[in-house]
Amino acid sequence: MSDKQYKLTFCDGSGCLKNQAREFRQVFEEELQRQQLQQNVQIHLSGCLGMCGKGPILIVNPGYIMYGHLRTEDASEIVQEHLINGRPVSRLIIQEDHLYNRFFRIFGDSEFFGRQMRIALRNCGVIDPEKIDDYLAMRGYEALAKVLTEMTPQQVIEEVKKSGLRGRGGAGFPTGLKWEYTAKQTDPEKYVICNADEGDPGAFMDRSAIEGDPHTVLEGMIIGGYAIGSRQGIIYIRAEYPLAVQRLKKAIEDARREGFLGERILGTDFSFDIRICLGAGAFVCGEETALIHSIEGSRGMPRPRPPYPSVSGLFGKPTLINNVETWANIPVIIIDGADWFSSIGTATSKGTKVFALAGKVRNTGLVEVPMGTTLRDIVFGIGGGIPNGKKFKAVQTGGPSGGCLPEQYLDTQIDYESLAKAGSIMGSGGMIVIDEDSCMVRMARFFIEFTQDESCGKCTPCREGTKRMLEILTRITRGQGRPGDIEKLERLGTMIQKASLCGLGQSAPNPVLSTIRNFREEYEEHIHQKKCRAHECTALLTYVVQDNCVGCGACKRVCPVNAVSGNRKEKHTIDPKLCIKCGQCYDACKFNAIAKV
Amino acid sequence: MVTPMDLIRKKRAEAVNRIISKGYLSTKRVYVGMATCEIAAGSKDVMAVFQDAIAKGLTDVYLSQKGCAGRCNLEPTVEVVEEGKVPVKYGLVTPERAREIIERHLKKGEVIQEWVI
Ligand SMILES: Cc1cc2nc3c(=O)[nH]c(=O)nc-3n(C[C@H](O)[C@H](O)[C@H](O)COP(=O)(O)O)c2cc1C
Ligand code: SF4
Ligand code: FES
Repeated sequence: MSDKQYKLTFCDGSGCLKNQAREFRQVFEEELQRQQLQQNVQIHLSGCLGMCGKGPILIVNPGYIMYGHLRTEDASEIVQEHLINGRPVSRLIIQEDHLYNRFFRIFGDSEFFGRQMRIALRNCGVIDPEKIDDYLAMRGYEALAKVLTEMTPQQVIEEVKKSGLRGRGGAGFPTGLKWEYTAKQTDPEKYVICNADEGDPGAFMDRSAIEGDPHTVLEGMIIGGYAIGSRQGIIYIRAEYPLAVQRLKKAIEDARREGFLGERILGTDFSFDIRICLGAGAFVCGEETALIHSIEGSRGMPRPRPPYPSVSGLFGKPTLINNVETWANIPVIIIDGADWFSSIGTATSKGTKVFALAGKVRNTGLVEVPMGTTLRDIVFGIGGGIPNGKKFKAVQTGGPSGGCLPEQYLDTQIDYESLAKAGSIMGSGGMIVIDEDSCMVRMARFFIEFTQDESCGKCTPCREGTKRMLEILTRITRGQGRPGDIEKLERLGTMIQKASLCGLGQSAPNPVLSTIRNFREEYEEHIHQKKCRAHECTALLTYVVQDNCVGCGACKRVCPVNAVSGNRKEKHTIDPKLCIKCGQCYDACKFNAIAKV
Repeated sequence: MVTPMDLIRKKRAEAVNRIISKGYLSTKRVYVGMATCEIAAGSKDVMAVFQDAIAKGLTDVYLSQKGCAGRCNLEPTVEVVEEGKVPVKYGLVTPERAREIIERHLKKGEVIQEWVI
């Protein structure tokens, strides 16, 4: 018997499950037991691999041998021939050369990566982003060549429409339609823009995508330029992203040298070039009309739409703006086809979405999952659940424009409509996990403080309204909440949503309104009982010494205001009148004898 | 007539040749994460350890940088990929760990399980 260690990855996505994947796995595991091979294999489940039509799927590593169309009667043959005799069963092997698969080859054997599906980030972490050779080896610029060789601009647009791709920058507008509108404009001068502003606090999806694989974004943009008939592309990126900017610059130079950018691309009549425009990093400059003003050299302030940028954008010319992640999907749609792309995801939302997973979760980081994955899969599957034995409280999606979803929404599928129905949004991909130690009022206050700070000030409801909301929330967290505050927040919030000019104001109240909707009792406790159940609002908590105090005196020594008293080896006490709630005693106690109440 | 597709196929073949000529087919490929987040976590020092070892005569290793794979809480990350073996991913790699990876994994073929992600 071979003593080789094998890693077996069974697809556990819904498509394969429909094809009796679980039954197959069960028979397979029984067979492993019969042959006493359990010690020699590591079994691992993956999310949808994008081959649902060929399920059930099993991948055997090393070697990355992929089996498909499996029937229970195949199990013993694979175990005997492949795992014991070391001869893969050729009749069951399927060849898959989808672009996204390359990531899986290296990373697909852990809980964190195995449940992901990487389309936009397919090369991130796999290739050297500074070497165009690495990108070319991964079929880089093949989509561009395909478009230039065998597709008319109209066919490209049709393919993007058929793929069902929607904008990943937040609003989820159908990308193909946007391309079509812009292509229809007769003005011979048009622009293509990549929105790499990424202003959401805590978000870093776009930065990582560019740093990991800059050429993909360029390739998507060049294809977009061909489709709409533009000669000039601009990447708007914030100056705080120096490494991303540097890699983009290098990628642009390399692409020019190879003839993918510039005059007569790859010997055709199509000419297109890309330049970088540095933004100062204001949240509102991510809004498309403000972004256009910023490129034109004026202050980044939104203007009413319509006219939409597709009709009148940069310098009054038709302009196609898409987000980094949206662009990164384009080459895959062209190479692997709209039909394949639209087989991934849900009825209304196709493909994958990248999230920046953060907060109180074991594995934090960048994840890309098929649309339709549930919040639970992300938080507890990929994210590994909540650390330190704490309880899950909520997950915040969509950054400052989004909302907070409590436990009963954990089985919500991730797609634009489902998240909206649950009371949050997809947004650009921020995802913050909140545990029982976090106060929802403070959370809401944090986001409103951010948007209040970032409001451009053009319209009164946004400028003044968010300020008033912040004042009320601040009062509540300080223990000065008054009856009627919640209703006032709701009224103000709804008004700001309705009366603001741009998406910033229209969405600013969302974190507040959604926390009121789902955690109203926490607001009430703050206001009426002057209590913060998470013990995060300092003004609302008291430090007390509990009976397990051994009288070591550690707290007494660190207290800056001498509020702790007690003899050695006797239980100490804290004088609540003197205590300034700095929390140093709490941190100093080695016996967890000090409690927040 | 040469189509753009013919051109790109040629370019890819050339690129692959160049990559191979730089030692890609050496027995082991080592990838060090070098995105902003990885660098902030200290990956430049880790990279330097590998570069140094190669300069001082470590052979049969193809060293490359890569972008962020997404394991923010375990950075810096290093992958060791060998044909015919399951890829090995190390997390929280310090210069000291990098030196151990060179001594034990790259030179002796021993996977250091404790640091594997
Ligand atoms: C306040 C505000 C900030 C925005 N920030 C961004 C951003 O950072 N990146 C982005 O791609 N889109 C951002 N958007 C959305 C853009 O206005 C626009 O819808 C998007 O770039 C279109 O690309 P898509 O269709 O590919 O999503 C923002 C919108 C608003 C209202
Ligand atoms: S809603 Fe706010 S950010 Fe948008 S234009 Fe009005 S003031 Fe400016
Ligand atoms: S569910 Fe297995 S490939 Fe889609």
